[in-house]
Amino acid sequence: MTTYIINLAILIGINAILAVTLNFILGYAGIFSLAHAIFFGIGAYTAAIAAMKFGADFAVATAAGMVISGVISLALALPALRVRGEYFVAASLGLQMLAVTVFSEWKSVTGGIGGLIGIPPARLFGFDVSEPVLFLGLTIACLAVILIIIRALVRSSFGRSLKAIRDDETAASALGKNVALLKTLAVMVSSSFAAVAGSLFTFYLSFINVESFVLEVSVQIIAMVIIGGTATLLGPVIGAVIVLLLPALLTYLPYLPPTEIGSIQQMIYGLAMVLLMIFRPSGLWGYGSDSQKRGEP
Amino acid sequence: MSGEILFQADNISKTFGGLKAVDNVSFALRAGIVTTLVGPNGAGKTTLFNAMTGHLVPDQGAVTFLGKSILGLPRWKVARLGIGRTFQDLKLFSHMTVLENVTTATESGSWLWQTGGRASKAARIERIERALAATQLQRRRDTRAVDLSYAERKFLSIARIMASGARLWLLDEPASGLDRSSYDRFLTVLRNEVTSGVTICIIEHNLDIVQSISDRIAFLDQGKLLAEGDPKTILSDPALAAIYFGERA
Repeated sequence: MTTYIINLAILIGINAILAVTLNFILGYAGIFSLAHAIFFGIGAYTAAIAAMKFGADFAVATAAGMVISGVISLALALPALRVRGEYFVAASLGLQMLAVTVFSEWKSVTGGIGGLIGIPPARLFGFDVSEPVLFLGLTIACLAVILIIIRALVRSSFGRSLKAIRDDETAASALGKNVALLKTLAVMVSSSFAAVAGSLFTFYLSFINVESFVLEVSVQIIAMVIIGGTATLLGPVIGAVIVLLLPALLTYLPYLPPTEIGSIQQMIYGLAMVLLMIFRPSGLWGYGSDSQKRGEP
Repeated sequence: MSGEILFQADNISKTFGGLKAVDNVSFALRAGIVTTLVGPNGAGKTTLFNAMTGHLVPDQGAVTFLGKSILGLPRWKVARLGIGRTFQDLKLFSHMTVLENVTTATESGSWLWQTGGRASKAARIERIERALAATQLQRRRDTRAVDLSYAERKFLSIARIMASGARLWLLDEPASGLDRSSYDRFLTVLRNEVTSGVTICIIEHNLDIVQSISDRIAFLDQGKLLAEGDPKTILSDPALAAIYFGERA
């Protein structure tokens, strides 16, 4: 039971990193990306290859994933962010589909559909951190560092510029904001930090394949952000907890046949999203006067 | 300083489909005065503003600021040169507080931090506080823009441009919808800024405001600049009045 809870907590931590990093662009910059799972995947594959082929430890493998994810995000951001929001959504969807094909077909690098197996246990500065409790500590530490950095960024002039762009691009540019550059930087920061989640995922499971980085995963991360509350620091963390705990809790409901849990879960997600948009459009931890009282950025 | 040509437009034209919104307009904005663009709806005033600030590129003509061409520059570069503008629909950053709206106007750098160190930060803070004080928004500094009254939003748009440090202000119908006391306060703010060296160009329909604030008036109709001169001359011209009030032959 304890192992199960730790396992769940690690997965919640990894998904919380994904939700927090997506929220950085979705909530604070108004950039709606359908490709966040791809940067999760790039981080995961890069960390796996770095560990398997070069014996890299967690820190080096994660750094490599962040750099590669950040650079590849430029391929999406540079052309797509010069146009208005809906075109970026379409471009990110295109990247999501393209990258999934690459993940599944580039067998010599990604292992194709079968994925990569035999990823060595996580080591950090010479210490084995693959023990579940230690790995949970590592996951929480990564989440905490990312939250602290994002909090600092959001409260900086960079964060204010992103929020200005989110609220009105035309007015932001009339005040001297280089909108395309700021949005590109935001996507790069978000994608780089998403790669940290990928690296954690890789080292925790010791196995990855394309199934973990498909469009449904990107949509699930968006759901975490919206359910928790966009443009809030802790909302996406709460969203990740709810989205991941829901299926786990459903398994304890009596009279539910195990074969039907998946479809019931989908119905509950859908219903929750509809009710949330009606009664609390800014999410459970949503911004507004309440969040300002809580001191949210 | 007053009298120096700050901004110059030469033979600007802009066509949308078959409509010539601005037709071969040339005019200059002199430093330290208020120039008002007047004319009936559809005269091309806002299009001219957009062409002056890089929000659209004219089909022909030259635009210079402080003697240097700004034609074709992206609007963020135009803004960083010292040309600020407001919009008819205000375009405030609705979910940001008053303080954030004004603060971000002082931060034009695109990187993760602002350059210039402590001295630059102190200067920015001084500009922010001065803008909030001049527009009487200090007590509303933690209120989101969306929660302000209409008059307060108007003043916030002025506070933002004031904090930006722009040398030339282009204000698109800034006083429309203001009550009498807000309107008087608004004129005082503008006069104080002009006294301290800011150059202002306003689009305005209210002739009371035009009369009380303008040093020069440019009259546009159907995309053409029909007349330019001191307020007394322009406002007493019966032909222009007929056009303005829709009584053309």
